[in-house]
Amino acid sequence: MSSQKTVSRLSRILGLIPYVLANPGVSTEEVMERFGYSRSELTRDLNAVFVCGLPGYGPGELMEAYIDEDEVVIDSADYFSRAPRLAPIEALGLLAAALAVSGSGQGTPALDSAIAKLSDVLLPEADATLAVDLPPSTDSATTLKRAAAENRVTHIVYRSLSREETTERDIEPWLVFSTLGNWYVMAHCRLVDDMRTFRIDRIRSVEVLEERFDPPDEIPEPGVGYSPSDNDVTATIDLFPGARWVLEYYPVEILEEGDDHVRIRFSATDPELPARLLLRLGGSARLVEGPDVSERLKHLGKALSDRYG
Amino acid sequence: MRNVVERVLNTLIYLLESPHPVTAEEIRRTVPGYSQDSDEAFHRMFERDKELLRQLGVPIKLDALDVWEVDFGYTVDPDEYAIPDPGLTPEERAALSLAARIVQLGGSHAGLDGLRKLGGVEQGVAFEPFGADLGAEGETLGAVFDAVVQRSPIEFTYREGRRKLNPYGIAFRRGHWYLVGVTTEGERVYRIDRISAIDKGEPGGFERPAGFNPSTFLQSQPWEAGGDEEVKATVRFDPEVAWWASRTLGVEHSEGHLEVTIPVSNRDAFVGWVLSFGPSAEILAPEELRRDLMDRVTAAVDGVVA
Repeated sequence: MSSQKTVSRLSRILGLIPYVLANPGVSTEEVMERFGYSRSELTRDLNAVFVCGLPGYGPGELMEAYIDEDEVVIDSADYFSRAPRLAPIEALGLLAAALAVSGSGQGTPALDSAIAKLSDVLLPEADATLAVDLPPSTDSATTLKRAAAENRVTHIVYRSLSREETTERDIEPWLVFSTLGNWYVMAHCRLVDDMRTFRIDRIRSVEVLEERFDPPDEIPEPGVGYSPSDNDVTATIDLFPGARWVLEYYPVEILEEGDDHVRIRFSATDPELPARLLLRLGGSARLVEGPDVSERLKHLGKALSDRYG
Repeated sequence: MRNVVERVLNTLIYLLESPHPVTAEEIRRTVPGYSQDSDEAFHRMFERDKELLRQLGVPIKLDALDVWEVDFGYTVDPDEYAIPDPGLTPEERAALSLAARIVQLGGSHAGLDGLRKLGGVEQGVAFEPFGADLGAEGETLGAVFDAVVQRSPIEFTYREGRRKLNPYGIAFRRGHWYLVGVTTEGERVYRIDRISAIDKGEPGGFERPAGFNPSTFLQSQPWEAGGDEEVKATVRFDPEVAWWASRTLGVEHSEGHLEVTIPVSNRDAFVGWVLSFGPSAEILAPEELRRDLMDRVTAAVDGVVA
């Protein structure tokens, strides 16, 4: 078990015990929903609690913890009767999540009063030391959010990130999310009959259609990860210190860490994406291998020197 | 490994309930799961368990056992271990549950772990087709935030050098977390994902000015955030990309090309941004920025080994 998983499991147990002590007779169902437990996870954790207690560890010293007729029972655990302090990352995670939602125009009066109460407890003397600004939500993002909530097929005009082309397509928007400073929509794209993630600032126009679609039972975790396929163009690139940020922004494969550079393999559906990236990087990167990308880069360089004369 | 959860729970209960600080040796003799191991194995195990307790947010302290301060033991003050009940209403809890579910931090739902400590999520919260990932690697971010909350001065490594600062606040903007604080040279802003090797000073080590707001120290565009002398740059965007540039800049645009003048104080960032439009955008003025851009293009094309 990784240490993160152990921490998460212990954290849940330390929250569970005071809740059950304060709510005797609480149903198994409610505990599972409140704490995100499956039945077997709950049983496993109650079994762990059951063998812990005060030194001596005899029947009189151990906590009681079990499921009885679909009620969760915990007893003899007075030392855990109060809710535990949150770890810094938990406190930050909760406050930042609330501030992100509140600041993106999705807030409610209940959320704002919850933020005030949490700040009193979590930041007793550090009020207003935390700011979370998601990128401003655009009209397109708002429209797509509504379309996703209503399961409506949406027609978009999209300028591709990796290709120099504008396409029109019908999509079934599932989820609008923000990551790496941009807004994205995750959707089933009818043009390619597959799941696609579109950057919303590249969507030129959005039209919500009458037709409704059946959303999937479970939406995958949002992300802009890119899974390479056999048809991809690949390039081997050396990144010097000024270009290391590329590692954070693109899903690249690290081939080798040198003294002054890191060598990566960059995969894309179109050579335009790595070629443009290399243009931006100038002398802080070097294309080691990738004939398609090299040709594309030279072409872009020529077009620019013509333009700048 | 199977017993780590039980061992940590038993250790925590022992430390919470013991009327005096407990030595490592006492823990080894008392708590099941430790005793049968060699000295070295015990210490490794105990260190790891202490680290787990710290990651859980348990305020574990080392106190002297006697007035001569010869022997030390561990203790957890029950009043420091517990948190006051924030008294959330079901509506407030429902709003937080939704936020914690849709916003990720450090690749995980840390906020959900936090909410579980405060009594769990509200039942029956409806799904919202909305999400956000606040990125970042959790450990450094948590340590910096802790220093902000406790008002502990910190020292850390940033771009090879050691920096010393009073951490006033943190802010998330444009997909990154920033630390805002004061050094002997004045206010400074650092990207938290580039910070490492943090040393934390004593809590309460500085006063924060009243009404401090970290977001006022952050610029809204990358090319506004730099130490370069400000220049006004004029750029022309061709019709096929003009709509997109106008959105980034927040300026009006209806049809055709777009010509705008932009204040620039970070030339590198600005040239990089204009180049991301490829040959569909052109810096018209000043001449030096046109040169910077073409130098960059030449370096990129010349850098091709293949």
